[in-house]
Amino acid sequence: MEGRQNDDRLTAYGQSFPSRLLLGTARYDSPALLADAIRVADPAMLTVSLRRQLSGSKDSGQAFWNLLRETQRPILPNTAGCLTAREAVNTACMARELFQTNLIKLEVIGDEINLQPDPFGLVEAAVELVKRGFQVFPYCTEDWVLCRRLMDAGCEVLMPWAAPIGTGQGPRNPRALRELRERAPQIPLIVDAGIGLPSHACQVMEWGFDGVLLNTAVSRALDPVRMASAFGNAVKAGRNAFLAGPMIVQDVAVPSTPEIGRPFRSASPLSA
Amino acid sequence: MDVIVNGDTYPLPEPPTLAALLRSLSPSVPFVVARNDEVVPSRAYEACHIDSGDRIDIVHPAAGG
Repeated sequence: MEGRQNDDRLTAYGQSFPSRLLLGTARYDSPALLADAIRVADPAMLTVSLRRQLSGSKDSGQAFWNLLRETQRPILPNTAGCLTAREAVNTACMARELFQTNLIKLEVIGDEINLQPDPFGLVEAAVELVKRGFQVFPYCTEDWVLCRRLMDAGCEVLMPWAAPIGTGQGPRNPRALRELRERAPQIPLIVDAGIGLPSHACQVMEWGFDGVLLNTAVSRALDPVRMASAFGNAVKAGRNAFLAGPMIVQDVAVPSTPEIGRPFRSASPLSA
Repeated sequence: MDVIVNGDTYPLPEPPTLAALLRSLSPSVPFVVARNDEVVPSRAYEACHIDSGDRIDIVHPAAGG
C-alpha cells in the first residue's frame, strides 16, 4: 500500500507531479505567509498572474519573482480577468514569454458578478492556444457539453469549478461533478474555485477527481499556514480514500459485530 | 508624437524603438512587453519600431489564483 501511495502522482500533459494540490498565490497578508503556506501545503504548482506595475511599488514584481524562484515550484500562469478570447490569448502569450512555460490556466470570464466562465470564449481561446503550442488548463463549469468541446479542442486537463471564485461554498452541484467524472474517466480533472474547507477538497478527491486548485480558502484563513497544512492533508486523505475503494452505502442497518455465537440469545426479557 | 504606455501618454523616444522606450522607462525586472496587443520577445526590442499612437503594455509577475 505504501508503494502504491508513493507511485500515485498527478499527471498532466506528460508531466508528473508528486502533489495533487495546486495553490494560488493571491491575497496573502505578507510574502512570508505565502512562502510558509507553500512550504507546508507542498503544492504541485503555483498559480500566478500578470499585471501592470502599480505606481509606488517599483520592485514588488521583482520581490514576488524572487519568492517564486526560491520555492522551485512549477508555475501555472493564469489569464484571470480576461473577458474575451482575444484578451486571454494575448495574456497567455505574454505569460509564456515571461515565465518561460507553455502551461496556462485559461480563464475567460463571462459574468462579472459570479465570475462564471464564458463557455463560448473559453472554447475559442482553447482552440487558438492549443494551435500555438500551449498546454491549456481551462477553468470551466461542470457542463458536460462544454467539457467535451474543450477536450475536442485539445485540452488534456479540465478544471471545473466547485462554486464561484472566492466564495468558499464548496461543491454546488455534486451530482453534475460526479457525472462529469464518470463520463470523462481518462482526463485529469482538477476542481478549481469555490473550495472553502478541507472537507470540500477531501470530498471531491473521494469522488475520484485528480486534484484541487485553491487560493482564498488558504490565504484568507485566520491562520493561512495551518490551513495550508489542513488542505494538504485533506487532499491526500481524499485521494487515499478513493484509491482504497469506499464501501457501498446500504439502505438498512447491517450489524458490524457478528451475530453468530452471541450469548443469551434466548434469555427472557428483564421485565418477565 | 506620443505612445500609450500602460494607459498613460509618453513622448515617442528617439530613436523610435521599443528598446529606446524601455531604456527611458527602466521598468523593474522581470517584465514582458506587448505592442498593440502582440507580445514582443526581448531579443526583438532593438528591432521593434514604434509609431505614434502605439499601445505599449509592460507587465510583471503578480500574485494570482
